[in-house]
Amino acid sequence: MDKILRIDMGADGGPKITETPLGDYAGLGGRAMTTTVVSREVPPLCHPLSAENKLVIAPGLLSGTIAAMSGRLSVGCKSPLTGGIKESNSGGQAAQVLARLGYAAIILEGKPKTDDIYKILIDKNGVKIVIDNSLKMLPNYDLVTKIRSEFGDKIACMSIGPAGEMMMNIASIACTDMELRPTRHAGRGGVGAVMGSKRVKAIVLDDSGMPMRTPKDPVKFKAANKVFTEGLLKHPVTGQALPAYGTNVLTNILNEAGGYPTNNFKEGRFAGAAKISGEAQAELEVKRGGLATHGCHRGCVIRCSGIYNDKDGHFLSKQPEYETVWSHGGHCGIDDLDSIAMLDFLDDNYGVDTIEMGVTIGVAMDAGLAKFGDAEAAINLVKEVGKGSPLGRILGSGAGVTGRVYGVERVPVVKNQAMPAYDPRAVKGIGVTYATSTMGADHTAGYCIATNILKVGGFVDPLKPEGQIELSRNLQIATAAIDSTGMCLFIAFAILDQPETFQALLDLLNSFYGLSLTGDSVVELGKKVLSTERDFNTRAGFTAMHDRLPRYFSTEPVAPHNVTFGVKDEDLDKVFAW
Amino acid sequence: MEEFPASLVSQIAQDGIFLEARAGCSLRAFLSGECCISPEYIDNRISTIFLDSSPVDDIDSAMIKDGSIIALSAAMPGLVGAAMRRGGAYAAIRSSITHAEKEEYCRQGTVIVRLKLFNMVLKELGPGFFEKGVYVKCHDLARSLAEQTDDFWEKCKELIINGEQIECLRLRRGHYDFNCETALLTITVSGLSHTVP
Ligand code: SF4
Repeated sequence: MDKILRIDMGADGGPKITETPLGDYAGLGGRAMTTTVVSREVPPLCHPLSAENKLVIAPGLLSGTIAAMSGRLSVGCKSPLTGGIKESNSGGQAAQVLARLGYAAIILEGKPKTDDIYKILIDKNGVKIVIDNSLKMLPNYDLVTKIRSEFGDKIACMSIGPAGEMMMNIASIACTDMELRPTRHAGRGGVGAVMGSKRVKAIVLDDSGMPMRTPKDPVKFKAANKVFTEGLLKHPVTGQALPAYGTNVLTNILNEAGGYPTNNFKEGRFAGAAKISGEAQAELEVKRGGLATHGCHRGCVIRCSGIYNDKDGHFLSKQPEYETVWSHGGHCGIDDLDSIAMLDFLDDNYGVDTIEMGVTIGVAMDAGLAKFGDAEAAINLVKEVGKGSPLGRILGSGAGVTGRVYGVERVPVVKNQAMPAYDPRAVKGIGVTYATSTMGADHTAGYCIATNILKVGGFVDPLKPEGQIELSRNLQIATAAIDSTGMCLFIAFAILDQPETFQALLDLLNSFYGLSLTGDSVVELGKKVLSTERDFNTRAGFTAMHDRLPRYFSTEPVAPHNVTFGVKDEDLDKVFAW
Repeated sequence: MEEFPASLVSQIAQDGIFLEARAGCSLRAFLSGECCISPEYIDNRISTIFLDSSPVDDIDSAMIKDGSIIALSAAMPGLVGAAMRRGGAYAAIRSSITHAEKEEYCRQGTVIVRLKLFNMVLKELGPGFFEKGVYVKCHDLARSLAEQTDDFWEKCKELIINGEQIECLRLRRGHYDFNCETALLTITVSGLSHTVP
C-alpha cells in the first residue's frame, strides 16, 4: 500500500492513469485518507456531480493483512445527498484485494465528455480501462454475473447499478462478498451517483499472485492478532449475540424501549416487531437452509451477516441487517420478513442505500402514495426507482426531496440524509450525534467505542443528562479513528469492555508499521479527521443551523414515553468545542 | 415432544409469558425467587432489563406491580444496545426513559406479570420456563400454532395445556377449543431437562 492510483476520466483522448507515491498522504488509511484527499483536492463549493468532485476509494491501514476484521473500505467525495463531505463505509472483499494490490487509494477525477461507460480492471500487471457499453443500465446482480463470466471468480468487484448511472442521490456502490455477490454497499450519501458521474460502471480487482501484506514485526503482529481475535470471540456481543442473530437482534430491544421509529416516526413501538426480529429471522434462515452466521469478507471472525433464502430454499438476499429491516419494516409498517428481504435484494440490485430508500418509502406512505403496511406497494415503489420513471427519480432523490415534492411536513432527515433506526426523542444521545455529525443523520458516526478507556476528553458522568454532549463528542472522535484503520466498527463492543482487546488493536498497528501509537494518538487522529470534515463543510456553506434535528422532534412527543428531543441548541453547538 | 419446539417457544416468549409474583417485590427478588434464576446469571448474563418499557439500572430498587411487563436480554450491539445496559457507561444517552421508582406499591398478595425473553436469554432460559409451565394468552397460543410450519407439526406429538395432554394432530386440525383468556402451557421433551441457569 505504497502508491495512489489516479484516473482522470475527463482527460483528452480518454481516461488517463497516473500512479504516484503516497507523499503527503503517507500513514493515512480508510476515512482519514478519503477525508484528507477530499478536503485538500475538492473545491467545497463544486457541484457533487461535476468534474471537480473526486471519488476516493481507500482500504484501511490494516486491510490486506491477516489481521481479523480489517476489510472495511472507505469511499469519500462531496456528497450529492448532503452537499457536505462524505465517507461511506462498506464490507465485502474489495478492501482486502485493493490493499494487496498495493494501493492506499484510488482517486477517480474529472468527467468524460461522452455517454460511454467504462470498466476498470486492476491486477498485478497494472490498470486497464475499457469502454463497455454492453454493461449499460445492468442491475448489480446481472452485472456481476457478466463480469464473472469474463474474469472468473477469483476477483472482487465494485459496481454501480441503474441508480448510480442515473446519478440518483441515494445511489450506492456495491462491493462483492466472499460468494461474489454484490451484497455489501457503500450506501450512504449518494457515492454511487458520483461514480456514475465519472461514467465508471465497474472496478474489477484481481489480486491473484499478490502476497499478503507483511508487517514490520511479524512475530508481534501475529501475537497481537491472536489476542485481538480471542478478545472478540470471548465477548458476549461479538462472540455470541452478533453471530447468532446479526444486528437485527436490536429490533426487540429498541421496540421494548419505545425507541423503534414506526410509521415514519409517528410512534416508538411496532406491533409486528417480534415477527421481524433477529430471533425470528435467524430461525427462518436456518429452517430454509440459509445461514444465520456468515462473514461479509474473509478474515471476519464476528460474522454478523447471513444468507436469506426464499420459501423454496433459493437465495433471495443476504441477511438484511437491523437498519434495513427497520427502514423497510417498522418504519413502513411492514411485518413480513420475505417482503423485507425482497426489498433488500432490490436495493442491492438497483444499487441504492437501504436506509435512505426505506425512509423515503415511509415518507411516500405518509404522502398517501401507499398505505403503511402495504408490502406489495413498497416493492412496486422501489421498482419505480430501478426503472427511473418520473416517480422513481423523485424517490431516488431521497426522503428530503420526496417530502418536499409531496408536501410532507414530517421528514426525518438531517443535512438532507435520512435518520436511521433509533428515535432521537427516546434515545436523546443518538439524536445529538444525528444532529451534529459531519455526515448527516448517521448512527455509525458516534459508535460504541471505549471512550473511558481512551479517556477522550476526560471521564464523563453517564448519569448526568449533559453527559450526552460529551459522550457524543467522544464517540464521534473515537469512531473517526477506528474508521481510519479499516476495522469493522463492531469490534467496538469488545474494545469497550476489554482493555486488553483495545491494546491488541494498538499492537496490531504498531507492529505492522513499526509505530508506537497510544490511546492518545488514536484520539488525536479522530479529532484531526473530524476537524478536517467540519472545515470542509464550513467552506461548503454549512452553519450551526445545519446541526439541528427537524423541529417536530422537539415539539411532538413520541409514545409510549411521550418524550421530545429537548437538547438545547447551544448545547449542540458545544459538541465540537475542543 | 422429541425435540424442543424452538419456533413456538421463541414466538410466545418474545411476546411474553405470564407469571405470578409477590406484590411489591424487587426485580431482583422476582428473578431469583419466582423465576429461579441464579445470581450469577442475573448479574453477568442478563445485562439489559426493561420494566414497563424503561431500561432499569438498579434491579434492587425497581419494584414489581400487577401488570408489570419485564423484558430480559443479554448484552447488545451498537451504541444504543450498549446504552440500554444496566448501569452502563452510556446510560446518559437514554436518561429520559430510564426507569425511576416513584410509587409505593401494595406489598401484599400476588400479582400477574408479563415476562418477555429475548436473544441469548430466550435461548438459554426459554426451555426451562416452558418445562415448568407458563401462562400464555390463549389467542397468542392459537395464533402461534397457526403460524407453525410442517416441520413443527412433524415433530410435535403433544402439548400439555392446563394439565391436559393434547395431541398435536388435534391442535393442527383446529379441534381444540381456545375459547379462554389464558392457559397454562407445559412442554416436556423426552429425555431432556432444561434447568434455568
Ligand atoms: S462483523 Fe459483520 S459487518 Fe463486520 S466485517 Fe463481519 S460480517 Fe462484515
